[in-house]
Order: sequence, then structure tokens, then C-alpha cells
Amino acid sequence: MMKDERYPKEVTFSLNGELKTFATSADEKLLTLLRREGYRGTKYGCGQGTCGSCTVLLDGKAVYACLLYSMQAEGREVRTIESVGTLDKPGEFQQELIDGGAVQCGYCIPGMVMSATALMESEKEFPDDVVKEYMDGNLCRCTGYEKIWAALQRVLERRRAKEG
Amino acid sequence: MKLCEFIRPASLAAARDALRELGPKGMVLAGGTALHFMQDHTPVTAVDITRLGLSYIRADEGGYRIGATTPLSEIQRYRAPRWALHEICRCIATHQIRNISTIGGNIARVFPWADLPVALLAMGADMTIYGEHAGMLGADEYFASQPAKRFLGGDLLTEVRVPALRAGQGVGMVKVAWTSAAFSMVTVAARLDLEGDEIRSARVAAGAAIPFPRRLAAAEAALAGKAATEETFRAAAEAGGAEADWRGREGMSAEYSRHLAETAVFDALARAAKWARGRSE
Repeated sequence: MMKDERYPKEVTFSLNGELKTFATSADEKLLTLLRREGYRGTKYGCGQGTCGSCTVLLDGKAVYACLLYSMQAEGREVRTIESVGTLDKPGEFQQELIDGGAVQCGYCIPGMVMSATALMESEKEFPDDVVKEYMDGNLCRCTGYEKIWAALQRVLERRRAKEG
Repeated sequence: MKLCEFIRPASLAAARDALRELGPKGMVLAGGTALHFMQDHTPVTAVDITRLGLSYIRADEGGYRIGATTPLSEIQRYRAPRWALHEICRCIATHQIRNISTIGGNIARVFPWADLPVALLAMGADMTIYGEHAGMLGADEYFASQPAKRFLGGDLLTEVRVPALRAGQGVGMVKVAWTSAAFSMVTVAARLDLEGDEIRSARVAAGAAIPFPRRLAAAEAALAGKAATEETFRAAAEAGGAEADWRGREGMSAEYSRHLAETAVFDALARAAKWARGRSE
């Protein structure tokens, strides 16, 4: 295959559990690379680290893919919304969002789900201040957050019941 | 900032050599979040220093040593006796940015709205420099002018040492912003050293509503030797309000900035006194 001269560099990282190598450039954002490679669930919102719609997990931690150069992902583990659920088999929080009518335009939701995933995988207890801390980098301009919060609390309730 | 090349040196010495050779065409990259906002579009080579073992928090005699590439989220979550930096880190940006942004990146190039320089000035932190001008600099010297100038020749910031609070000492930090994620309108940090109810010494620093973070010497002078009362704190806040060049911003007059700053100084002092009087966390 002809080498695309726009992407002279290479970066290798685990993407949703699979080790992959991508052609990229020193200046390319991780978000741009992911979307270019077909991972369109990760959204481009503000492009300046404010809205959270591009949130992915880097070694299990929520980060903004728009503020990360693709080269920074070298050797790390990246997870996108595609790893959480599908249209046919939504993840637990995704199903609660659907059931609760918590999604309006939906653009912020992949980022919300990734932040919530980091929360649930990293913490054992979920007091409100911890939940807010994990979710404070995701904006929703449609819903006013109430139903998103309620949907997340239903998922966390089940975790608490399991732990208890 | 436009990146034309991206390198990952295998050691600190290799990073320093690369930066020395690149000169103005080199750019240290830790979290890298600030690079996306720098308006200079001259192509630079990013020198990634995040894989050099500089991400740690270690307790040592009388203080805590924090590696320069330690993310703010690690500092925010760290808990230890007489440790105070977690509070200010919780107030910086958002969860996602705190996971990436580093303490070194926050203070190697100081943006006017930065919160950590204010906290480190009040706490009397020390910064360790690696390279040609290797050594340890106290916060007053380090923040006397834009620290980025120190690193033009390829030197690197490697560690920040924050003294642990002694008995009778307390710290208060206040950040005023529109939303939890917004840049600061004014940030104030204060450290009080109490003996009974008397203030033995005080360090008060401010940032964001002034061109560059600084200590408020007049406020400190209004505290030393006085009783730790609301009246004293109010006088110190007024003195602090009078001594700096508070700037207005969109929708906010300079007078209002000053008013906010005075309120923040008062609140920071009240919190510091409460801590000094027996908060043990």
C-alpha cells in the first residue's frame, strides 16, 4: 500500500482490547485518529477540552481525546464507547438512559457513558461528591442532567446492593 | 501549537540533550493540554517526558516530594497527615483534564489564571531543576517572573517539594470561578502559623485577577503578631486589596475584582485558622 504522506508516524496501542498500529502525524489528535479510523462513537464537540463528548478511557482513566495527541497513546490501553455496548446490546447505563428517556440529542451521551464507566471501574463506593467529581467534565445542553443523573443512580444502586 | 515531530527520550539526560539541541524548535510535553491552546503556530518537536519515572508522590522528612509529571488527579486523591494540596487540585478544570494535566506543566509555564502557583507560593514549596542550572529554588524566587524563561536552555523541572504542615499551621485555599471547570477569576491561598490565638507568621498569595501570581506582603504584615480574629483577617484582606493591581474582565469591573479578592483573602484566612486550630485531616 502507498504510504499516505500526511501520516508519516506510527503509533501502536491497545484499542478496545485489540493491539493496533495506526499511521498518524505528530500533530494529530487522538480524537481525529479514532474518528478517521471509523470509531465515530467518540464525538467531536467543542474540540477544546470543555464539553466531554470526546471522552475515552486511557489506561482506565477518563480523558478528552481532543486534548491528547495520538502519539501520547503509544503502548497504552484506549477504550472507546464502542467497547461498552451496541445498538442491539446496550451497556447497563446505556439501557437505563434509554429506559429513563434521558437522551435528547444524544451527542454528549458517549462521553457521559465513558466517564461513568471510569467511575464504576475505579471506585468501590459512590457517594454523590465522588460521582459528581467523575462526571464534572461532561456537559449536556439538552436535558438539564436530571434524568441522566437518575439513570446513573439506578445503576449505582444495583452496585451498592451487590456490594452490601 | 503545531507539532512537526514527536520524540520520547529514554532518560532525563537524553531529554535535556534533545531540548538543548532543538532550542526554540523543541517543546517539553507532559500532559500536553496547554499545547493545544498556545497561539504560536511555529512548528515544534514535542519532547515527551511522561515516561521518565517523574510521576510519584513520596513522603519524606518534613514534606512531600511530587514528581513533575504527576497528574493533578493523583495529587487530588492523595491523602496523608498534614498534606493540603488535594483541595486546590480538586478545583482545577475537570476530571478528564486532571487525569492528564501535570503539576510540572501547571507551573513550568505560568498562565495568569493558574491556581497551583498561588498554592505553592503560600505553602513555601521548593522546585527542583535538572540541567545546566541544576538546583532547588524556593517558590518566591521561582515565581518571581515567568518560570518558562528558566527552561529555554533545555533545563527541566523535575520535582516539587511541599512542606508538611506543622502543629499550629493551617492552609486555606479559595478559587472563585463561574463554574467548577472555568478558569479562575481570583485564586487566593494562605498559610497561617498560630501560637495559641496569636499569628506568628503568615503567607498569603493571590493569582488570576492580577497579571502574575504573587504574594500579598501588606496582607501578611497586617497578620503577623496579631490575634487570629475576624477583625484581623478583615484588615489583612483590605491591605491585600490595596496593594495589588486587580484587573477587571468581561462583565466585571476592576473594583469588583478587588472586592472578590478581598473576600477570598478573608475566607482563605478563616479556613487556614480553622485548620491550624485542630483540623487533623
